Amino acid sequence: MVDVGLVVANLVYGLLIGIIYGIATVGLNMIFGVLKIVNVGHGAFIMVGAYVTLLLFTLAGVTPPLTIVASMAVGIGLGLLFYYLVIKYLVDAPELATLLATFAIGVLLQEIVKAFMGADSRGFTWNLGNIEIAGVSVALSKVIAAVLSIALLGFLYLVIYRTKLGLAIRAVVQDKEGAMVVGVDVDKIYAISFALGIMVTVASGSILAMYLQSGIHPYMGEIYTLKGFVIAVMAGLGSIPGAFIAGILFGLFENLSYVALQSIEGVQPLVLTRSIAFLLLLIILLVKPSGLFQR
Amino acid sequence: MPGVDPWVLREALRRSAPTLVFYLALLALYLAMPQYSQFIAMILFYAILGQAFNIFMGMTGYVDFGYVAFLASGAYAFSLAVIALSEAGVTGWIFIPVGLAFAAIVAATLASIVGAIALRLRGAYFAIATIGVNEGLRYFVEGANLLGGSIGLYIVKNLKALVGKEGYQLAATLLADLLMFLLAAVTVLVTGIILSSRLGYALQAIREDEDAARALGINVTKYKVTAFIISGMLGGMLGALNWALKGGVVEPAHVFMIHYTVEAIVIVMLGGAGTLLGPVFGAITYIGLNYVSNVYIAPILESMGIKATGLHLIILAPILLAIIIAAPNGIVGLLKERIKNPRIRSFIT
Repeated sequence: MVDVGLVVANLVYGLLIGIIYGIATVGLNMIFGVLKIVNVGHGAFIMVGAYVTLLLFTLAGVTPPLTIVASMAVGIGLGLLFYYLVIKYLVDAPELATLLATFAIGVLLQEIVKAFMGADSRGFTWNLGNIEIAGVSVALSKVIAAVLSIALLGFLYLVIYRTKLGLAIRAVVQDKEGAMVVGVDVDKIYAISFALGIMVTVASGSILAMYLQSGIHPYMGEIYTLKGFVIAVMAGLGSIPGAFIAGILFGLFENLSYVALQSIEGVQPLVLTRSIAFLLLLIILLVKPSGLFQR
Repeated sequence: MPGVDPWVLREALRRSAPTLVFYLALLALYLAMPQYSQFIAMILFYAILGQAFNIFMGMTGYVDFGYVAFLASGAYAFSLAVIALSEAGVTGWIFIPVGLAFAAIVAATLASIVGAIALRLRGAYFAIATIGVNEGLRYFVEGANLLGGSIGLYIVKNLKALVGKEGYQLAATLLADLLMFLLAAVTVLVTGIILSSRLGYALQAIREDEDAARALGINVTKYKVTAFIISGMLGGMLGALNWALKGGVVEPAHVFMIHYTVEAIVIVMLGGAGTLLGPVFGAITYIGLNYVSNVYIAPILESMGIKATGLHLIILAPILLAIIIAAPNGIVGLLKERIKNPRIRSFIT
């Protein structure tokens, strides 16, 4: 018999983690939308953000919501660095080259962090007590993480839809040659878009760290690369609002499938939910590779 | 390959010859210097890994981030065959051909299923799907507690039951390595035959421009799936030999490790994608770099207080980036550009 309270609790948690999955995928989709590059090293940038929060909080006592600002700065820095060192030369290269290059960037980030921080899983405690949502008691820090995700999405929305820069980005997405003709510096737009995408991704790592507060290690990003792909494909590669909504749907799906799997004996439900996520990925790729939210 | 043309066979042998000579030299070194045998066996493993992976990635230009799943499936299949035979009371060496055949069949089956589904997708979508297949399989094995769950399969005692304690010692060392040499030769010849036959030309056309190839009437899906199955089957046998027979253990956390796929990609790109000698050059360079970084660079960094385990990846990643940007055709591509003498050039295949 299904326990209604358990289902409601998992809906609430699914919604919260889904919002964070959403913001963690927006950067991936933005980079694909503008540069047509799939960032296979995506999760490594999330990991970097988690470490920024961990270090600033544990060493300098900076309150986690404020560390997001630092993460955004780190993200812009890393984004510009890798754009001008690597990506710039590969924008028109075969897809194989960009897939391998972004993969190598991810490996490089992981190994650098591992060399300096070690491979151990770390965490921190930032406890603000609990609040009640729909009768479910939830840590306030998790709610703040979700609210900050929405704020970050709003910020990105303002940049893309309410500024001249955003207009230029949208022009490049629509018609690269056309944008060039009217005087848009496409290379510069690529650099800024890549940096913005990485900025959101690193910042989402901080938000994720705030939400989980544990399991921070150099390879933590891999699972988010994979989940990010599932979500991005659900949304349709390139769609920014789609990525956010698909993230929420994915969070709900993951938590509800966990509830369902718990009732099967002799299996590890948490591990099996990951497997089901990939099954979902394959099904979506085959049935509707253009994503759920694109016509 | 149905009805191999004698011309194709001759051409395949001509192309494979330099690489086969290399493997013969490696075999001679292996037999002459037993103290380095494990080092040589490691080069051999990575060379075969690159060679088998090359048949798909090098020739089609598709990236399979889940390639290691074929090695894993082969290792599992071999172990299951060993367990089944020993439990049925069979003894003797029959387990090797049976296990290898089963590994090849299981890997080929997995490749045809994955290929038939995922190869309908292109480029990035295909790459994403393959990561999903690898991780999905791994978490399925672990989560559903299948095939030993997250603990895996231990077959040393089954192997001892089949061929005795001394037989096992021999099987896990010399015999496994010699079989790997045989697999290397087979992989090279298969690559040579593919490159010289209709399949190879079709794959080249697909790599250059899939739409144009399709428009010319080439059945692109058929050729892509064929290459995928051949590549996966060879990978399955490699996993069976190197992990199940030699190691005696198949753990999901190890055999599904994406690390091996990265290494295969680096080796193929370093040596030269789609070439015969490429994976060999790639494997030697890769192992050489690893050795230098572990033996010479790591102690210096350790003394500076930096943890240097896994350091080779820090060096490897920038090298891979440099190759992708500056020398997308790898070592073999560079050699082809440099060497003008047509006679020497004809040996660089």
